[in-house]
Amino acid sequence: MASPVMVNGVYPPVEYNEEVVRKFMIAAMFWAVIAFTVGVYLALELSWPEFNLGYSFTNFGRLRPVHTSAAIFAFGGSVLFGTAMHVVQRTCRARLFGGRVLADFIFWGYQFFIVMAALSYVMGFSKSREYAEPEWHIDLWLTLVWVLFAVVFVGTLMKRREPHIYVANWFYLAFILTVAMLHIVNNLAVPVSFYGSKSYSLFSGVQDAMIQWWYGHNAVGFFLTAGFLGMMYYFIPKAADRPIYSYRLSIVHFWSLIFLYIWAGPHHLLYTSLPDWTQTLGTAFSVMLWMPSWGGMINGLMTLSGAWDKLRTNPGLRFSVTAVGFYGMATFEGPVMSIASVNSLSHYTDWGIGHVHSGSLGWVAFISFGAMYYLIPVLWKRPEMYSVKLIAWHYWIATLGIVLYITSMWVAGIMEGLMWRAYDSYGFLQYSFVESVIAAHPFFVIRMGGGVCFLTGALMMAFNMFMTIRGPKPASISMPHGYALAGE
Amino acid sequence: MFGGRLTHSMIERHAMLLLLLALLTVSIGGIIEIVPLFTIETTVEHVQGVRPYTPLELAGRNIYVREGCYLCHSQQIRSLRDEVERYGHYSLAAESMYDHPFQWGSKRIGPDLARVGGKYSNDWHYAHLQNPQALVPESLMPRYEFLASTYIDANTIADHLRTNRMVGVPYSDEEIAAAQDDLLAQSTPGADTTALLKRYPKANMVPGAAGRPTELDALIAYLQVLGTMVNFADTSTETLKQ
Amino acid sequence: MNNETADRIVSWMMIPLGLLGLLIWARALDAEMYVFGLSLTLFSTAFGFAQIKRHYDDADLAGAHAAAHRGGQPRG
Repeated sequence: MASPVMVNGVYPPVEYNEEVVRKFMIAAMFWAVIAFTVGVYLALELSWPEFNLGYSFTNFGRLRPVHTSAAIFAFGGSVLFGTAMHVVQRTCRARLFGGRVLADFIFWGYQFFIVMAALSYVMGFSKSREYAEPEWHIDLWLTLVWVLFAVVFVGTLMKRREPHIYVANWFYLAFILTVAMLHIVNNLAVPVSFYGSKSYSLFSGVQDAMIQWWYGHNAVGFFLTAGFLGMMYYFIPKAADRPIYSYRLSIVHFWSLIFLYIWAGPHHLLYTSLPDWTQTLGTAFSVMLWMPSWGGMINGLMTLSGAWDKLRTNPGLRFSVTAVGFYGMATFEGPVMSIASVNSLSHYTDWGIGHVHSGSLGWVAFISFGAMYYLIPVLWKRPEMYSVKLIAWHYWIATLGIVLYITSMWVAGIMEGLMWRAYDSYGFLQYSFVESVIAAHPFFVIRMGGGVCFLTGALMMAFNMFMTIRGPKPASISMPHGYALAGE
Repeated sequence: MFGGRLTHSMIERHAMLLLLLALLTVSIGGIIEIVPLFTIETTVEHVQGVRPYTPLELAGRNIYVREGCYLCHSQQIRSLRDEVERYGHYSLAAESMYDHPFQWGSKRIGPDLARVGGKYSNDWHYAHLQNPQALVPESLMPRYEFLASTYIDANTIADHLRTNRMVGVPYSDEEIAAAQDDLLAQSTPGADTTALLKRYPKANMVPGAAGRPTELDALIAYLQVLGTMVNFADTSTETLKQ
Repeated sequence: MNNETADRIVSWMMIPLGLLGLLIWARALDAEMYVFGLSLTLFSTAFGFAQIKRHYDDADLAGAHAAAHRGGQPRG
């Protein structure tokens, strides 16, 4: 561990690398708008299939991975990388390990991954593994960027000046390590040629299904949960100006969450050709997972005790707290849907789509918005966002969007499930498949309305961010760009 | 823990210790759930009839994979009464044992395709894929006209079979050597298909333009074999036990 | 490892990456690999040049600061 020299009994201030964090915030905002726009367009295609336009590259099958990758990896990933690099520097009181160029490479290398992945999907190249669609060479590129990111993160932890590693960093660390493990194993494949994109998965059939959903569910568990819990553990205490409610609960939360999550994958494969013992394990651990999830939610929400009034004046914090509420809701719904008898109804229906979006819009996007509204003024040295009122508007229109989205998908999903299993009085199946498609149409249109609301909110945020950055900067000493004096 | 010597405070003070313990914690579940699937012999049922895809079917499957069909169509009939009545016998693990990658799917915006093979005629598929709404007006499916004007590269198909053999599909040397001929035989009306059918029983002929199959031909050859390989009359509850 | 060493390693890494991109671009068997190889070359070149430019910009700025502290005129 590097030991900085003390001057007059104090350490010299740290020059944090805030430039890379700023870049990630801008990228996150950009990708959020792209992801939501593509999402709205897909909702349009599902409402009126004429919008597929008949071109190969505008078809639903090619655009859907663009939406999911843009939302999870581009928007979510940029927020995660940016906040992880911010939080680890601040809580370790150490400048990012590895220097400016490495951090810059991680930023641009990650953006390169996103653009290449999106291009490959629309050009008709996909491994067709859900949430792991990029072909082998793009996966290798991501592995390179990811390993370097891990080196920078762990290196910064190693050279910290604080005796303890702060709890947010445990979650970020688990996210980085586990996603690396999942990504490498799930994407093992043999290319047909070194100079061609096509590859064949190393695994097949039932083993392939298990590995894919071990990956898929833990992309949710570690990419979209553990990493964002790291955000919760830093930004809510910061914005509320209160310490974490319970340190002991954080410890229990962390270890039980990361231990249990990894088992839950088979709940995506109930009643399938996966052997029963694996299905049962998946269900059991999914139900158990409810406890650490709610432990974390309680830890986040109770941090607000004594500071609830801040919700009235700080709409950014309102995003973070609502996010934790949605987290609690989605992590209750998840275990319920993992119970075999519920899953027999909900699986393959739009209930699943609704569940995913209450997690991704309500939890992931909202906690990100909360963190970004806190971070933007800090990073660009502004007293506050350009318009606090606009944040409140964003909050309400986005919330309305989520409500429209998830309620319409609940109704559509449960209806589909019931129609598929309905029998008439003669003992025949009552509905043909296409009748369930017709019945879902109005709800698909409502869902699109919800998406439009959510997108509108994001556009307001982008405008607010742009005006904040462009706005007047308080007088300060001019420094070589990319460097900031420690202020914590 | 460990005789009271390892405290959480210690873990919090040592980044490498935290890293190793976290890695250990997240490895356990996956190892216990995944490794036995490779070692327990009954995970994949022993049934007759499942064979590797013909070269044309494999090429068609690659179109299916590339276009993201799995996003709207599952290939996994669950062991539920209504699914079995709607789609046919519940899916067996054996039926996807040569699928790299598996295409079970997770969402049904359209119906399950695990046993779509033979349910509709070739002509129906040609018409439906190019303009689904002409046959099912309420369908949400995109049109796949463009597949009718793009061609399968027969020259590289042997490489694809070879790569499949590397990941465990039992293609023989003979099958790899004959890959290009088999691909063309399956898509050329009037071609001699004796050797093809001997290697790949139940393969469906598609009426491709002579010597030049389109992606649409290949896709339909693949769709027509889905779920047809196992003869369920030969199976019993005992043989299907996992 | 100090930061200048790390900066150099990452910057020099752009040369093999760019060459790899050229190789893939030249021998690509499909459109996607072609685009990937070309993009990798462009990425590495742009990133490399950006680092060179940045290096001299920072040096100029640091020089200007030092000059200002000495009470002299900034260079350039």
